[in-house]
Amino acid sequence: MVAEKITIEPVTRIEGHAKVTIHMNDNGSVDHAYFHVNEFRGFEKFCEGRMVFEMPQITPRICGICPVSHHLAAAKAGDLVMGVKPPRTASLLRELMHMGQIIQSHGMHFFELAGPDLILGFDADPAIRNVVGLIGADPALTLRAVELRKYGQDIIYQVGGRRIHPNFAVPGGVNRAMTEEKRDHMLIGLDQAIETTQIGIQLIKDWVDANIEDIEKFAVFHTGYFGLVTPENGLELYDGNIRLVDKDGEELENFKSQNYLDIISEHVEDWSYLKFPYYKKMGWPEGVYRVGPLGRLNVVEKIDTPLAQEEFEVYRQINDGKPVYHTLYYHYARLIETLFAIERARELLEDPDLMGNDILNRKYDFKGESVGVIEAPRGTLFHHYWAKPNGQLERVNLIVSTGHNNWAMSEAVDSVAKTYVKGPQVQEGMLNRVEAAIRAYDPCLSCSTHAIGQMPIKIDVMDAKGKVTQTLKRD
Amino acid sequence: MQAETFIIGYGNADRQDDGVGWHILKNLAERLGHTVPDDPGESIEIESGQVDLLFILQIYPELAETISHYERVCFVDAHTSDIPEQISWMKLDPEYEKSPLTHHMSPKTVLSISATLYDHIPEAILVSVRGFHFQFERELSPQTAALAEEASERIWLWVNQ
Repeated sequence: MVAEKITIEPVTRIEGHAKVTIHMNDNGSVDHAYFHVNEFRGFEKFCEGRMVFEMPQITPRICGICPVSHHLAAAKAGDLVMGVKPPRTASLLRELMHMGQIIQSHGMHFFELAGPDLILGFDADPAIRNVVGLIGADPALTLRAVELRKYGQDIIYQVGGRRIHPNFAVPGGVNRAMTEEKRDHMLIGLDQAIETTQIGIQLIKDWVDANIEDIEKFAVFHTGYFGLVTPENGLELYDGNIRLVDKDGEELENFKSQNYLDIISEHVEDWSYLKFPYYKKMGWPEGVYRVGPLGRLNVVEKIDTPLAQEEFEVYRQINDGKPVYHTLYYHYARLIETLFAIERARELLEDPDLMGNDILNRKYDFKGESVGVIEAPRGTLFHHYWAKPNGQLERVNLIVSTGHNNWAMSEAVDSVAKTYVKGPQVQEGMLNRVEAAIRAYDPCLSCSTHAIGQMPIKIDVMDAKGKVTQTLKRD
Repeated sequence: MQAETFIIGYGNADRQDDGVGWHILKNLAERLGHTVPDDPGESIEIESGQVDLLFILQIYPELAETISHYERVCFVDAHTSDIPEQISWMKLDPEYEKSPLTHHMSPKTVLSISATLYDHIPEAILVSVRGFHFQFERELSPQTAALAEEASERIWLWVNQ
């Protein structure tokens, strides 16, 4: 048998996005696998010359999946560039919108994207291993899942007036106050959202009990962990210092986002357009870390809402209080965060200051350069702007959430391929597991354009001479 | 009164030809006597009584509930050169289509959810128009603009069947 290369290319968008290549040994086992991001957006260059006030409207166009995160990170960077602190009411409203984003994104990921694999099985017939199969298995749960995402989207709509690209946060605050009618409307759906999430958490706990063997060999590796925290190292998704811990949970850094360039650097590989951030002091690749739900729950010591804290205490027992490092636990962590986001939404909705009319501070003290940071659903998002005194941007640096997990996703693909792929005749279950390794991180690879007509996923098996010997595709 | 026909355009109006669905909806809205804002934002909703129009950035699962209230649904999108026809007109049946890594859903998938969860399958078509350029612009390329005009006319005839 000759050495072969298998390519998995999910070209669901016109920009190509990403693919996986699996290089086979002569004996039919996997030598190495790569996760490539083969797009180049040039978005930072595109933003140069625009006004800082425009950025909360421009940058959400990067993505149709987490536009609210870009909207808010841009507004936060704008606050700091203009040297203005938003009134408390504005910060509460922004955070409430952000909770809506977390709820809708996490809810959709678990129940509609990842859930079918977990609930119906990685090796289940692909014809039923999807949300429709899930409906067959549990229609009431699926209806609840649709409602959960809808609830998150509705928060975004009620607060910002639009579901995807809100025109709401501006440097110095926000441009619309809350009404009692809208607040009361949002409170109505909250208990059901909590119940649905708790059902999801019980599902994942049962799944963990039944699949512990798979979990312990599926993309298991150590890294550092990275995310925002409260001053007492509690879970924080909107604002705060950034905490970086090592694989054992020991604190390496606790720093203000403005100083991120002193802490992290970006490595470049010639097989991916997406850079690989790492902790400078440890160097590459020892300094790699993970963000997103797993990373966040590993950098915190508590969660400041009661139901999520209760679940967090159970979760942390998985590794006796030390960081949980198994990739598939991302799903578990994601649901605990969803619970936190719903509880936090209730706290915000019940805060009397939410109803204030002091929503915009225009007393500027221009600073010129600053960094806005937020925990997007899939990890820490940086917007770094350099502006002229008139507010025109001279330079922009964006470190997107998915980028932080670039090394981890590639390592996960490599690990899963080596564990599950045997021989050149690739089975569907193998393909699904490789996808699942990436899917656990819930990456966002620029979904802002989506013309139809290209093949959703394709695997080419090639021999050493580059001849295609096998093609698998998923239409 | 609930309209029987629902037209959903989707795509990114900031990415030139990817937003052809927006331009077609705007054309249809004008035929229905409605004024459409120049900035599509992420969504427009027009309830005319005869036909309802919706423009969105992408298809999402709760749309299944919305389409379950209609007898006929037309999805309008852009397509790339992988589809040979300049204007593709396709009847849709419910079928789950997996999108391996993203939060994006297809029209067939939404139909499938509507059928399974809400026990209703509207008559559905997908009209897709060839896109040629996908830059950061709101103006369609001349080729796609011409096709959009033709597609609008054909959809209008379908609406009035």
